[in-house]
Amino acid sequence: MKISFNWLKEYVYFYLSPQELAKRLTNVGLVVADIKPVEDDFCLDIEVTSNRPDCLGIIGIAREVAAAVGGSLHLPEVHFITTGDDISEFIDITVEEPILCPCYTARIVRNIAVGPSPEWIQKRLKCIGLRPVNNIVDITNYIMMETGQPLHAFDLDKLTGQKIIIRRARSGEEIVTINGARRALFHDMLIIADGRRPVAIAGIMGGKETEVSESTRNILLECAQFEPRQVRRTSRALGIASDSSYRFERGTDPEGVDYVSRRATKLIKDYAGGEIAGGVINIRTGRQETKRITLRMERLHKVLGVEIKRDVAIDILTKLQFNVLNDVDNFIDLEVPSFRGDVCREIDLIEEVARIYGYNSIPTKTSISVRGSARNKYEIVEDTIRQCLTGLGFYEVKTFSIVDTSPLQSLNLWSEKDGIDIANPLRQEESRLRTSLLPSLVSVKRYNMDHGTEQVRIFEIAKVYLAGNKLPQEKTCLSILVDTDFLSLKGMVESLLLNLGIPLKQEWTRFNKSGLFMDERAASIRMDNTVLGYLGEASSVLGFKMQSSLAEIDMDLLTERSNFGKKYQNIPQYPPVFRDLAIIVSEEVTWASIEKCIADTKVPFLEGINFFDVYRGKQIPAGKKSIAFNLCFQALDRTLKSEEVDNVQQVILDTLHKTLAAELRKA
Amino acid sequence: MRMPEKIEEIKRNIEKEIRAITALKDAEQFKIKYLGRKGIINDLMKLIPTMRVEERTVFGQMVNSLKVEITNKVEELIKKLTAETVPEIKVEIFDITLPGKRPLSGKKHPLTQTIEDIKEVFARLGFDVAYGPEVELEYYNFEALNIPQDHPSRTDFDTFYIKDDVLLRSQTSTVQIRIMEKQKPPIRSIAPGRVYRPDTVDARHSFMFHQVEGLLVDEGVSFADLKGVLNQFIKTYFGQNIQMRFRPSFFPFTEPSAEVDISCSLCGGKGCNVCSYSGWVEILGAGMVDPNVFRAVHYDAEKYTGFAFGMGVERITMLKYGICDIRLFYENDMRFLSQF
Repeated sequence: MKISFNWLKEYVYFYLSPQELAKRLTNVGLVVADIKPVEDDFCLDIEVTSNRPDCLGIIGIAREVAAAVGGSLHLPEVHFITTGDDISEFIDITVEEPILCPCYTARIVRNIAVGPSPEWIQKRLKCIGLRPVNNIVDITNYIMMETGQPLHAFDLDKLTGQKIIIRRARSGEEIVTINGARRALFHDMLIIADGRRPVAIAGIMGGKETEVSESTRNILLECAQFEPRQVRRTSRALGIASDSSYRFERGTDPEGVDYVSRRATKLIKDYAGGEIAGGVINIRTGRQETKRITLRMERLHKVLGVEIKRDVAIDILTKLQFNVLNDVDNFIDLEVPSFRGDVCREIDLIEEVARIYGYNSIPTKTSISVRGSARNKYEIVEDTIRQCLTGLGFYEVKTFSIVDTSPLQSLNLWSEKDGIDIANPLRQEESRLRTSLLPSLVSVKRYNMDHGTEQVRIFEIAKVYLAGNKLPQEKTCLSILVDTDFLSLKGMVESLLLNLGIPLKQEWTRFNKSGLFMDERAASIRMDNTVLGYLGEASSVLGFKMQSSLAEIDMDLLTERSNFGKKYQNIPQYPPVFRDLAIIVSEEVTWASIEKCIADTKVPFLEGINFFDVYRGKQIPAGKKSIAFNLCFQALDRTLKSEEVDNVQQVILDTLHKTLAAELRKA
Repeated sequence: MRMPEKIEEIKRNIEKEIRAITALKDAEQFKIKYLGRKGIINDLMKLIPTMRVEERTVFGQMVNSLKVEITNKVEELIKKLTAETVPEIKVEIFDITLPGKRPLSGKKHPLTQTIEDIKEVFARLGFDVAYGPEVELEYYNFEALNIPQDHPSRTDFDTFYIKDDVLLRSQTSTVQIRIMEKQKPPIRSIAPGRVYRPDTVDARHSFMFHQVEGLLVDEGVSFADLKGVLNQFIKTYFGQNIQMRFRPSFFPFTEPSAEVDISCSLCGGKGCNVCSYSGWVEILGAGMVDPNVFRAVHYDAEKYTGFAFGMGVERITMLKYGICDIRLFYENDMRFLSQF
């Protein structure tokens, strides 16, 4: 809220520069975001939090200044003399919705002269960025800015049937608001109507037809209280936010309505002349009980961690206009002023004391106990992966979880179902929760290609969102994009698995996902019949200039299967014996089947089976290939004799021949 | 042929062959032929086990002396030939100032680095790490955090919705409720994660960003403790010279609530455009857990007190490195990522 520095001084005495005042206000929770000199005045832009509508008027700010700085508060006098007939001669007011309008007051001033408002009012309004219109409008604005209570002036002669009815809109009703826009109204909206039609949207904006104009002679001054939620809903539904709705939706002071009405009436009489009709129409229903709260000093000390003296606490609360009812044995009974709708509980009082006492005067101590904290399993997995991959030259990226609905984004790796749509997206480009991280990595690669970096090695750890019951399944994934072939990326993934203590017992099956992976060069990776992830060479449709491979791995499954319980294995004292072998098999025979066949022999001493080469060429018949590998034999208690190894090796070769029709390739 | 004769013959051949050698390359070839692993000398050695025991010693000595003789001759020859060749070779000087061959090396995303740094500081203060869902029930994002429907404070929390009561969390405070529902005090947790708000993207705003939420609940926890813990964090993370300032503020889920500023590290508190010439920059929101929040998770609000705090990871990272456009974090330009 913008306030004028000189204007503020009218209600509270203080001897501070605008900068010093700003500091003091900031320290009690009213952040001064900006100080701008305006002629011989300053405009202070104050951020008022949504719980403090009482500070949406300069008097409210003055009250805080009085509490924080120590000056006393001066409120303007509102005495005036009424002349002429009683108000009831001119208007009849009915409140049909007492819950939505708990208080409605009206005063009438007749034979006024509409014209420019006095210089000093114009100056103050301009200082805080309001455009002067005429004396009546300016005075209602001035009083709203002064007190935080919105008002509205109707041209009395334009109200049909000498009637004001506060009711819900009827279907089909419309209003043209003072800004010239025509609005259709709905049944759940509260309006002010005359005998014929809506003349204002309650608490939000008045109607064009009944607004005060140059020719207005008689006015009806409305000052009311409207139920905050109703104002907020209507304001949102119509898309109209005004200084008035802003205040009503935060809550106005129910006890202040009459004071404000009188204050405005007096100013109108003073600066627009005319006669004030006798009496007032003041319809109030369900008067709010005054809130009483007990503050326990012991609780205050416990919550704040500082022993604030009782007298100090009482002084602070009194300055904030809390009324001390009773004060025995460190129990202080207080009455909450009506403008402090935000204070309902003891904890709210504690905050008030702390605020004015000064947060920076509360000690900074750490009396919390010592406690150990260890990383959980997921964190260890995440850290290990980041460490491994950055060590291999990868950059970690972060991309948006909300994506578009393009075919690439709709590849749906993990689920048949489409991604979850956002009901209120900002743009079509960000309207769906992603089901895979890979399309985002593809975009990052393209972005970097466009900016001159061809080679990228990137990964991301983030969630994908799969349609579920009430809430979606959020699966954390690791995705990798790298400029290598299938086997190099497979090797990186394998080394990740080993680093996480997961043995390489996965099943790699051919997998097709055209649009993402190259046909024949992609696999799904399974672990005990659960999909661990997908890996493949990038499809040419992705438009990369260099060979690239992609993988997406289920991090939740990785975490579950990871095993960091390490145990030392004795290093063998005797040398191992290595045998290099090359066998000729049919094209269809996979390495996995060869490896399995060898392992299944369960021969003694066999320690390792290491693939090293596949060869197709001159000496190899068509439809066959030669696979070279190395076997490692080891006994723990002695050096193996050549014959022992020969025998075992022969068993392996025989089995390979029998099972896979493999022939030993002669050198 | 008897063995001694064979050796004699070899000796003769050697003389002949050596005389014929004029190039260094041929000398190397000669050396391999006689002294290599599959060379003549080794072949002779392999015969030893096949001999009668009494012959073995004599033959062995003969082979050995032959080996020594050949070795000497060959080394001498190589030396000679090398010396002859040297003047012909151009002198190469190894340039030690050539750039090193650097292995590929990557980096963690700067936001990850910030989150890890924050986690580490709080881990030393005994805080565990917790996570919660990003797609949340409205209840956890609002009602349980003391933000009722149609409350004006909801204006401060514009939110992406999936359907009626399911939304994308707009704050990591949701995790507070999930932790307290599962666990009894004492609690000491931090929760890093992604949050979403329908803000149009510009240099300062992003519809997705990261927060770290902190929560400590126990008996006898006070506002002074909150200040103490956050002071520890700020001094550790930003530096011992950095000052901290608490300002009263409002969050529905804490009471009393505070915004925490640190002295601007760019201008040292003198005032610059990063701190809007105030000398202070806001880095986090905090406060004592509101009794209504405790009520939502069925904690005894008289017995337990606690504090919560939340900070924006992007904001802290931007402050730390002087980054002035939040979009850089999500463009993932290698020229950006490689700087951290």
